[in-house]
Amino acid sequence: MSNLEQLKQLILDTFLLDPSEFRLDLRREEVETWDSLGVVSLAVGVHETFGYHFTPEEATGLESVQDVVRILESKGIPFHE
Amino acid sequence: MNRPLAWTPEEFERSDLAGAYLWSLPRFEARAERRFGLPTVPGLRDVPREARSLIVLGGGTRIDEAKLWRRDERADLRLVAIPSLWGSGAEASPIVALTRAGKKHIVVDPELVPDVRVVWPELADDLPLWRARDACGDVWAHAIEGFFSPLASGELQEELAGIVRRLASLPLGKDARWFEAGARACAAQARASVGLVHGIAHVLEGVLEGVDRERPFGHARLCATFLWPVLALDRSVSRELDAGLASHGLEASLVLEPARALFDEGAYARALPALEAHWRAILRDPCTRTNGALVRPGHLAFFLERRFR
Repeated sequence: MSNLEQLKQLILDTFLLDPSEFRLDLRREEVETWDSLGVVSLAVGVHETFGYHFTPEEATGLESVQDVVRILESKGIPFHE
Repeated sequence: MNRPLAWTPEEFERSDLAGAYLWSLPRFEARAERRFGLPTVPGLRDVPREARSLIVLGGGTRIDEAKLWRRDERADLRLVAIPSLWGSGAEASPIVALTRAGKKHIVVDPELVPDVRVVWPELADDLPLWRARDACGDVWAHAIEGFFSPLASGELQEELAGIVRRLASLPLGKDARWFEAGARACAAQARASVGLVHGIAHVLEGVLEGVDRERPFGHARLCATFLWPVLALDRSVSRELDAGLASHGLEASLVLEPARALFDEGAYARALPALEAHWRAILRDPCTRTNGALVRPGHLAFFLERRFR
């Protein structure tokens, strides 16, 4: 599974979304379950999936799925081949 | 002052009891009246205006009712909590968890912590063994889920590691030392969060109410039943958990063995259909969402197929 596919599955599982709801530009305010507890779950899932621990500032500053991609790419985890 | 102060019954008797009223579970009322000589009230609305202290004696629900009422209605009262059983840790925590219209409502506020908690060991004398064991499961769930919480600091984990060692030294059953250990586990866990075991318990305790009249599916029984399966799931998802234990000098077996010993296949089999039917609600429960490992929709199969065995 590619990193993008893994991220998609993680977002769907964390926020309990249907596959059709996933977009890279999906924003936090569009997702009911992306609240403060959702931030905690996402941080746990990112660590399990990609081995990276968000800093508290990074985790709380996430505004979209694209932000997750941007931070992980900056840590050497590629999403664009 | 560091709340709650922890007193023995003798220390409580020597304290200023002027204006103190007792609100007790009915089955302990006569015993408490004899021991402390306090007037009792049948309900919180009956606490007189001139009262200076409220002594609540009972389980987690009764203590939580008193905590919330004191905060909202009579903040001037001193609140003394005497748990009739260990497990909930209500006597030591800033959390209230009450079921309203079949749904668990959780309030967290430092003002909810009682002023004093009293450990009265003799209250455990008449406990049925199964109830005592289930309550041990609740205590273990607080300690382990608090330890694995993503919100737990290294300092808190170290404190909980000490509590885990203490719990591991106690027999799973009727032993009054669980009162103190349980209060400490809950007070520490309250500084982080709980996880999937509590998410399952909070959703299913209303659903399974009345299913077993002999041995009700209350919160503690559900914690005892699901502790081992959830721990196995967590460890299968995240290797960090064992590493976290090791970094505080704990062998995984120290937590796995009691969890496995508390597991009851019969109770698990009876609860499983409800787990499946309410899995979505469990995933949305706030406790589940602060589990030490991410709980995914597909993890239901882990429980249905008993992959923890």
